Amino acid sequence: MTLLTLPRLSAPSALVLGGALLLLIGLAAVVGIWFTPYDPAAFAVRERLQPPSALHPFGTDEFGRDVLSRVLAGAHLSLATGFGAMAISLAVGVPLGLIAAFHRGVTEEVIMRSVDLLIALPPVLLGLLVLAVTPPSLWKTIAAVGLVYVPIMVRLTRAVALGLLEEDFVQAARARGEGAPTILWHEILPNAWPPIIVECGLRVTFAILLGSALSFLGLGPQPPASEWGLMIAEGRDFLRQAPWVCLAPGLSLCVLLVCVNLVGEGLRERLDPQLRGRSHA
Amino acid sequence: MLDATIRTGAALEIEALSVAYPSRGGWLQALDGVSLSIAAGSVRGLVGESGSGKSTVVLALLGLLGPAARVTAERLAFDGHDLFANASALRGRRIGVVFQDTAAALNPALTIGSQVIEPMRVHLGTEHRAAWQRGTDLLAEMGIPRPAQVMRSYPHQLSGGMKQRVGIAAALASEPDLLLLDEPTTALDVTIEAQILALLDELRSRRNLAMLLVSHNLGIVDRLCDTVSVLYAGRLVESGTTGEVLHRPRHPYTKGLLAALPRPDRPHAGRLAPIQGNLPDLTAPDPGCNFRPRCAFAVAGCYRPQLLSGDRHQVSCHRVDAVADLPWPAEPVPPTAAPVASAVPLVEARELSIRFDSGGWLQRLLGKVGGVLAVDRVSVTIRNGEVLGLVGESGCGKSTLGRLLLRLLPARGGTLRFASAVVGARPDAHFRQRAQVVFQNSDTSLNPRQTVGMILGRAVRWFAIASIDAEVSAEVDRLLDLVRLPRSYAQRYPHQLSGGEKQRVGIARALASRPKFLVCDEAVSALDVSVQAAVLNLLRDLRDELSVAYLFISHDIGVIAHIADRVAVMYQGTIVEEGAVGDVLQPPYHPYTELLLSSVPLIGKRRTVAASTQAARAVPMAGGCKFADRCTRRVGPICDSVPPPVQQAAPGHGIRCHIPLPELAAVPHWLSQ
Repeated sequence: MTLLTLPRLSAPSALVLGGALLLLIGLAAVVGIWFTPYDPAAFAVRERLQPPSALHPFGTDEFGRDVLSRVLAGAHLSLATGFGAMAISLAVGVPLGLIAAFHRGVTEEVIMRSVDLLIALPPVLLGLLVLAVTPPSLWKTIAAVGLVYVPIMVRLTRAVALGLLEEDFVQAARARGEGAPTILWHEILPNAWPPIIVECGLRVTFAILLGSALSFLGLGPQPPASEWGLMIAEGRDFLRQAPWVCLAPGLSLCVLLVCVNLVGEGLRERLDPQLRGRSHA
Repeated sequence: MLDATIRTGAALEIEALSVAYPSRGGWLQALDGVSLSIAAGSVRGLVGESGSGKSTVVLALLGLLGPAARVTAERLAFDGHDLFANASALRGRRIGVVFQDTAAALNPALTIGSQVIEPMRVHLGTEHRAAWQRGTDLLAEMGIPRPAQVMRSYPHQLSGGMKQRVGIAAALASEPDLLLLDEPTTALDVTIEAQILALLDELRSRRNLAMLLVSHNLGIVDRLCDTVSVLYAGRLVESGTTGEVLHRPRHPYTKGLLAALPRPDRPHAGRLAPIQGNLPDLTAPDPGCNFRPRCAFAVAGCYRPQLLSGDRHQVSCHRVDAVADLPWPAEPVPPTAAPVASAVPLVEARELSIRFDSGGWLQRLLGKVGGVLAVDRVSVTIRNGEVLGLVGESGCGKSTLGRLLLRLLPARGGTLRFASAVVGARPDAHFRQRAQVVFQNSDTSLNPRQTVGMILGRAVRWFAIASIDAEVSAEVDRLLDLVRLPRSYAQRYPHQLSGGEKQRVGIARALASRPKFLVCDEAVSALDVSVQAAVLNLLRDLRDELSVAYLFISHDIGVIAHIADRVAVMYQGTIVEEGAVGDVLQPPYHPYTELLLSSVPLIGKRRTVAASTQAARAVPMAGGCKFADRCTRRVGPICDSVPPPVQQAAPGHGIRCHIPLPELAAVPHWLSQ
């Protein structure tokens, strides 16, 4: 058997594999808050820039700190940025999108044009705007990244809801005289959440990356915190002598993103009625 | 290659064509030993309900079934060429094809011209200028006005009928000998359909074309075809000349199809006879007669395999001689009280109007508003327990009027009274409870994430018919009984139901509030004939049992003639004629009614269509008669400037026209011609 004839990873296995790995990373991140092989902040000047070895699997950085410990201790920051930002954009974006779909006219125009305004700004610039005025912190990074993804959620929710509002079962509910909240809860949301969740799954990746990018620019958690983007920024001066200082957080970021993507893709195949219909046919 | 020596005179010969698709439950036998032939210059109809495999025949002939399908045939020959080997060389060149969905068949990003000349450039190698000239001539031949201009336009600038003419022109561009027509008129209005059928008929004789017309519509098959093959669940059940098969059907399935069809020429002709049951499971084909479970004449011996037999009129039925003279049995009539259509008006609409504005918020702010008057000062009255049929072409405002009567759309003017009380713009729960709606598309009218029990239960709770769980489920059971569905269906989700069953759930939901008035918006249009008959019978029974009044919106005049007591004919937002069903379907007619009725393809009656100019003006003349520019019988400038008066042809039969009544009466009776 050649590589080409290998069966395509089926939907449930992509979801299961990605989900299992993500769970593992999540577990490591939670443990990493309290327990790491070495103190992630402890200097050891004699151990500076050691290559990976049995004692230090990922090597040490310019202050002799164990890179593995630092990667573990920083994992929860990346996860928190990604999922926290998504939660914020969901919490703000979905209600706004539903309101815009329900109240065509002035309300819709106000919401959608404000959203257009946000979209017009590049994501990093928008993050900079939020973070540059006040001292940076993890919570502000999360809020800034969340704000970046609000427009996408608003637009998606509105589009999905507008489509559903045209459906005859919503018309039937209107013919019964049901009000907006009832129709929303019983008819729209149960049908709207699959595409929204799928979009979230895929956007978490970008949120994690954007969070790390902001940290790289010094606008996230401050040293000695070991946010992965910040670690890459600190290690880049020694890229030639000690590439592991950058590679370790960089590769960790890669693995995390692949896992999140697997889960997102698996969710999409599971929940997208068009894809599901294809597998049933 | 299969030599050209075995010419038999037949343009197309299919022998024992079988097609199977892989599916979850195993191989799905879409076609099972189908044989048919078409002589040059003749038209064969291929009829059957959805899922019978009609379109699979077309795709198999084109070699477009895809690599997964398993196709076998003893012989698949076109003009002596083996289609297995040469399908890709022949399709588009010597075999032309016209699809149902004209909007999807034409590429929206390319001009009409480039799509019409493409076959000539690719297959015949014609030089561009010559091809363009030839394309222009072809469009003219298809009866398209201003062909040179149309060649340079894009698909969205043309009407549906024009797009279908372009589709036929493109199929004919490479001078094919065989034209495959897959439901070519199904998406079109009946008036446009009549024009396209006339065009196809003319092309057939002028170009000596062989055609295969795939359709579910027996009327158009009768209009156009010389021979007919009837397909059921992948097998041919009857084949012969059109006259034999459609007028003296011998197979029970063909008999059933014809008995289930509502005929406009037989208004109120008792109950329709539906075919019970559903299509068989094609992943486990029945070696015996596969129509057996649904057949009214089946006996124990029908399990044996059965092939087509006979010479010219072939039938595959074990009992063909025994049932030859028996009609398909009608559904037993449930014992009901006599219908209670009373003289008391229930719904009274006076001068209802609605305008749909076009343009965005910026245009609105600047006061630049365009728009169409979708419903223009329409007055209708529907009495208790009465069925008012509403007919008209697509876009005439039928559905919009239905929604106005339910106050689902904000009317621009006029009044609505229900049971003599005025209904305001935001009606109260009492009105909502008594006026409900049944939709056309049963796929989108049921929430896919709720079970039937939840769907019905929600309506029951909302109207406070019942609130305790046990009472609600008892009420859900009662509703399922009412629409003749098993009570166990309460646990099912919509995707587990067939089209007819979904439509029954839609009706049950509308009945949950125990309404007095139902708007049925094309409620049976998406259903197959056999299922449609059952749903029409059900709606009629419910009217008698519950004395519900209906506004029955349909483009199908046969359905309206069958179910309605009174008919209103709508054209561009106005009602041009209204009256008892018997009065409207015979002269005197409004010229538009006449055009509609003469366009309906009737089985057993080949007719000419009343003359009409091609298409309506996009924006009708202000003031005058809206039909004036399409009307061939206009009396003069008065038609363009003065709104026509309503003339009373009979008590309760009004015609909105300037032409004097005696003149309107002096026209043929189109349905009995």
